[in-house]
Amino acid sequence: MISLPVVLVVAALMFAVGLYGVLGQTNAIMVIMGVELMLGAAMLNVVGFLAFAHPDATSGSFLVLITMTLMAVEAAVGFALVVAAFRHSRTAEIDDLTELEG
Amino acid sequence: MSAATPFAILLVALAGAGAIALLEQAVAGLRPAPAAIGASIARRLREPLTLPSSYDAWLYHGAPLLLALAAVAALATVPWAPGFRGIDLASGTILFAAALAYVTPAVFMAGWGAGRPLAVVGGFRFVALMLGFAMPLAMVITAVAAPAESLRPTDIVAVQSSVPMALVQPYSLALWLPAVMAVALLPPFDTATAPDELGGGAFARYTGPEAAIVALARRILVLAVSGMTAALFLGGWHGPLLPDAVWMAVKTLAVAAGLLWVGRRLPRFETDRLLILAWKVAIPGAIAAIVLAALTTLLFYR
Amino acid sequence: MSQLGTALVFWPAAILMLVWGLYVFRTASMARAGLLLLGALGLEGLLFLALASEFLGVLMVLMMSGEMIIMVFFMVMFMPDPGGLMGMDMVHDKRRSAALAAGLGVALAVVAVITDWPGAVVSPDAPDVRAIGYEVMGRSMFSFLFAAITILFAMVGGILLAKEGGRLGLPEPTDGTSRRDERT
Repeated sequence: MISLPVVLVVAALMFAVGLYGVLGQTNAIMVIMGVELMLGAAMLNVVGFLAFAHPDATSGSFLVLITMTLMAVEAAVGFALVVAAFRHSRTAEIDDLTELEG
Repeated sequence: MSAATPFAILLVALAGAGAIALLEQAVAGLRPAPAAIGASIARRLREPLTLPSSYDAWLYHGAPLLLALAAVAALATVPWAPGFRGIDLASGTILFAAALAYVTPAVFMAGWGAGRPLAVVGGFRFVALMLGFAMPLAMVITAVAAPAESLRPTDIVAVQSSVPMALVQPYSLALWLPAVMAVALLPPFDTATAPDELGGGAFARYTGPEAAIVALARRILVLAVSGMTAALFLGGWHGPLLPDAVWMAVKTLAVAAGLLWVGRRLPRFETDRLLILAWKVAIPGAIAAIVLAALTTLLFYR
Repeated sequence: MSQLGTALVFWPAAILMLVWGLYVFRTASMARAGLLLLGALGLEGLLFLALASEFLGVLMVLMMSGEMIIMVFFMVMFMPDPGGLMGMDMVHDKRRSAALAAGLGVALAVVAVITDWPGAVVSPDAPDVRAIGYEVMGRSMFSFLFAAITILFAMVGGILLAKEGGRLGLPEPTDGTSRRDERT
């Protein structure tokens, strides 16, 4: 049956998958996808604690709501940065974006 | 939720889809003929499965299944009668919006998977349309839930025992109907899938049993949005004399007939005009609707 | 939901979520990558439902659909090879990133297993929708408003960054070259 460590292990593996994407992918949008998976793993952690350790803590649910907002904001700002970088140097490959100079 | 509930939902889905198909014939000016529908289903099932020449197999074959899953999940949240409902969650109306949100990926998968330029354009068109209309849909649900102080569909029906919501919040109904017509792939919002646009659009290449699944899922979608409209705005099962379930069925079919009739009478707009309608009219309107709904709730329901 | 029902939903959804999450970074087709991520995060919503966080699960399923479809759009826009038909290489530091990710995953999993968590046997029973509503509109209202303002800033800032000509409003070169090419 399901217990707290099981949920935490699943979340840890999901976080590792996200990290693999962030480190290993060359395209900026794929890196954003990896960050989304890592944030998702953090949310799964919180929901696991909510279910098994503190069933009556509504502030935990609220933390997950805030994290969902964070995912949306992160994606929006990330996309905007990719658009700006693409306009500037015609690529979204992070290996080619080595200069901060505008 | 008992063990028999899934079968009851499937029965409602199949019977309702048949009724919607008959309504479509009647609205088109034909004599409703169950035999013709049966013959077309039989022809589809006997037809060999021909596949596009270059296509993405997972997306192409997954799209009809995802569309059917989304349609049935949306239908399962509709409250039919006091004792008969499928998934009865405390956030059931949000689940309805969530199920409908997966129509968008399904259409995109169908268009992209078919690997034809016009089908891909159809998929992109539908995503653009639904990015605009999904938000008024969810926001109108918030406005309708305000008087009931609950997101549970049965509570929202219960609060309409004397006055249906359509009379209290006509502005919410006006915002809701275009959004659900867009998500149910009904004309005049069907620029992505209409037979005379883009050579048939996203679903044009499906043949055989998969085409039958797509056709069935589209009828179930129409049934689901009509049922939810009847439950949220027309008082659901409340009505004199007739039994509860009969009232709900009558209201659902009346809404479906109205949607189909309006769709046949209106011209099909270009996608950019529909997007102007969504972003400049429907979304600000939905924000105003939430404020108005909160005010009417404080004035009349407390 | 009963213990058995939770397990019956949790295990298939968790395994499928991890497999799809991994395949996001293994497939060459951008449409597939985005839709697999949508599937993985939608299944995470199902996990929330199985763990009795009903409102959060339904909200997750709803929000991820829109967000990930936008993600697919950006992938198709900014990848030179959106269909994955040209066999383009999209990874760097392949071995080191995989080793680091696997090492961290195993380390976190070991910590999760060997730690003596408090009250880890309580049956799942998360707060209901009404309680979350009172939390948002009561004690946590300031944080909630702060999140709203953050979204507003992200919207304005994102549009400023992404609009044609950049944040300075400079005219865009029309011949397909970038500003950097023009200057050198």
